[in-house]
Amino acid sequence: MHHGNHFYGHAHVLAEYCGLDPSRPPRIDGYLQHGWNVVDGLGAGTPYAPGLPIFVWSERTRRRAWSMGRPEATVIGAPFLYLVESIPGTAGLTEVRDGTLWYPFHGWEGQHVTGDHQRLIDEITATEPGPITFCLYWQEFQNARIRAAYERAGRVICHGYRGYMRERTDERFLHKQLAELRRHKRVASNRLSSAVFYGVAAGCKPAVYGDPMYLHGENEPTAARIRREWPELHGVAPDPEHARATAMDELGAGRLASPAELRAVLGWKNVTTEERAAA
Amino acid sequence: MIQMIGGEMPEFTEQRPPAGGPVHRHLAGRLPAHTRILVAGPHDDALVDALAENREVTCLLRSQPDAEALAARGVRVLCGSLAKLTETERFDTVIAFDGTGRLCTPEGPQLDWPESVRALKRTLRPGGTLLLTVENELGVHRLVDPGSPTVARDGEWRPLGEFATAPGRPDRLAAALGAEGLPVAGLAAVWPLPGQPTLLVTPETLRYGPLDALAASAASAVATAYTAREVLSDPRRLTAAAVRRGVGAEFAPAWLAVAHLAPRPAQALVLPPVLAAPGPETITEVAGSPDGVWLRRVIRGDASLNGPLPTGRLLEELLLGAAVDHDLPGLRRLLARWMTVLPQAIAENVVVDGDTFAPLDPSAPDRPDALTRFAHTLLTGGYTHPWPGVTDVSRMIAVLAGAAGLAETPPETPAAPGPDVRRDHAEQLAALRRRLADAEARNLFFETELEKRDAELGRAKTQIAAFSGSLGYRAAKAGLVIARKARNRLRNSTSGSTDKGQSP
Repeated sequence: MHHGNHFYGHAHVLAEYCGLDPSRPPRIDGYLQHGWNVVDGLGAGTPYAPGLPIFVWSERTRRRAWSMGRPEATVIGAPFLYLVESIPGTAGLTEVRDGTLWYPFHGWEGQHVTGDHQRLIDEITATEPGPITFCLYWQEFQNARIRAAYERAGRVICHGYRGYMRERTDERFLHKQLAELRRHKRVASNRLSSAVFYGVAAGCKPAVYGDPMYLHGENEPTAARIRREWPELHGVAPDPEHARATAMDELGAGRLASPAELRAVLGWKNVTTEERAAA
Repeated sequence: MIQMIGGEMPEFTEQRPPAGGPVHRHLAGRLPAHTRILVAGPHDDALVDALAENREVTCLLRSQPDAEALAARGVRVLCGSLAKLTETERFDTVIAFDGTGRLCTPEGPQLDWPESVRALKRTLRPGGTLLLTVENELGVHRLVDPGSPTVARDGEWRPLGEFATAPGRPDRLAAALGAEGLPVAGLAAVWPLPGQPTLLVTPETLRYGPLDALAASAASAVATAYTAREVLSDPRRLTAAAVRRGVGAEFAPAWLAVAHLAPRPAQALVLPPVLAAPGPETITEVAGSPDGVWLRRVIRGDASLNGPLPTGRLLEELLLGAAVDHDLPGLRRLLARWMTVLPQAIAENVVVDGDTFAPLDPSAPDRPDALTRFAHTLLTGGYTHPWPGVTDVSRMIAVLAGAAGLAETPPETPAAPGPDVRRDHAEQLAALRRRLADAEARNLFFETELEKRDAELGRAKTQIAAFSGSLGYRAAKAGLVIARKARNRLRNSTSGSTDKGQSP
């Protein structure tokens, strides 16, 4: 359906979870929520074919979508959680975690943040107790000036390109993100965003602080609303247990579908017994 | 033998079925032997035969053809109106399981409910027993009936419906009979239909008894009676909700009263807390034991029903409740446990108490299509559920099978026969309209997308042609370049400016 279903390799992750070829995810009968937001799960301006279901992360988002006139929402949970489920961590046995994975807030293609990167970097280095890894969005990663500023303060990485119109999609985007998150003790950003929630799911303690770096023409009341609604995730060191409970709810923990259920829900053909035997 | 008492209806036969059924037959069998019985109103032959085994039976019928047919079977019949019944004959028991609605005729006075009771009372011997059914005008059977009770049809020339004078609550019924000198010794709410009950429960049991299990039993009784019947809304859900919420007696289709004319007889008919006929040949009683367990005892029929009454709520209602509440984890837990423990029992026959899943009726046959039946219910019963995008049954079966953790998706089977619910029809119509509007809007959406793609394809084709170097295209391209140059030259000469910033 919509090419947004392929962003970050979401469709690929779900196909793999369902036992299908992850390099060729079948068409999804609806729209996947591809990032955490405070609207109906879909990005603003998504061209939306009427009557098709949207697949959202959490029950809260489903209820909100209903209030926004989109009653055909089904909760399936975040694709990232399916990945966390299928790639078990080492559960603290040999796991070596250190430092903070910091996600400076970014816009998407065509959006540009305002704000002083250097001032943010100074605040981060003054706050973080351990080594810092900065994960830049590909746009900023390719900007030599911005990248150099971050490289002076720590390690700089990029998980890849989320893809556009099903092209140049980094199908291993979330795999790389999970692997990196599992190497860190903390996850932080200047905005509450998907990456912070993913970090919590990967076992990091979250933090949200620093200059929020508004986008050009951004609706600032929404940003303020996010701070008001989720205070437990904001600050330099929020209470990890409280933060985790909220974050896992937002990702739809406890509501993930089994592979068979997910296949049927997404409109994917079930693997028959014969096909399984042939495989 | 037939005796014309006056007021008979020579040209009329009863249209609606007579009162009867296994529970009535069972009660009749409990009446003392060698007594005189008056059966007032239309009752089925099996009941009359059961009574007549070792008792002296007289029937009162208003329809002459019906009376003649019964008399031809060797039964003593009084044919005519209740108003004409004299006191010269007295009976040990008067049975009016059909109520008082079909006892008067167009001839003579039209007795209302209290007058009918008085007329019946006059035929009782001292110490005699009256078994009387009183229809509840606010019973679930009325609430779901698409027909109006106040329309004259089926032999009702005086259809009073809710305007009639019968008491409207079991306690008022007891008080009214008491005031007529007929103190009530036993009272029970009746399901699924006034004249054909298969479940009797006393009002005390409906207040203090195992309400969840009783709700399940009542819904089950109603389900059987309403198969393929047209109704306004689903009587199973209304019945279960009423019983579970403690107003089962108030919303039951009818009440059965056992009343005595003083003095109280030594051998009185006692109504158990619960009397049920889960099948045509099975009679069970349920009674509380001192340790708080409700025990089911088989009086007749399948002995597998003996034992404690399973406690808890009906699985079907729990599943539907979880679905409308969008409680996915709860719904999956229920489905998974059901398909592990009792995969062949339909959701209408499973009672759930925590992790314990027990069949309400262990004698019910196995149903391999249990899950697919529930898929139909979820899709067609007007229930919100967590998968609004799933609108066809085969996909819903796959979703439920996946949610239940089944390795294989069961094959699609037709929907189970159930009540034909008008409210569901309205919902389905609204849903279809929505889907049609969505599909039309989607058509438009795809058309616009297609136009966009067509334009892109056109541009791409032009580019490909440019690079493929066909002769015709190169000639056209050369012409275009010459034309542009000529235009630019012309512009420069007229304006005198250089237009450097503009692209060609």
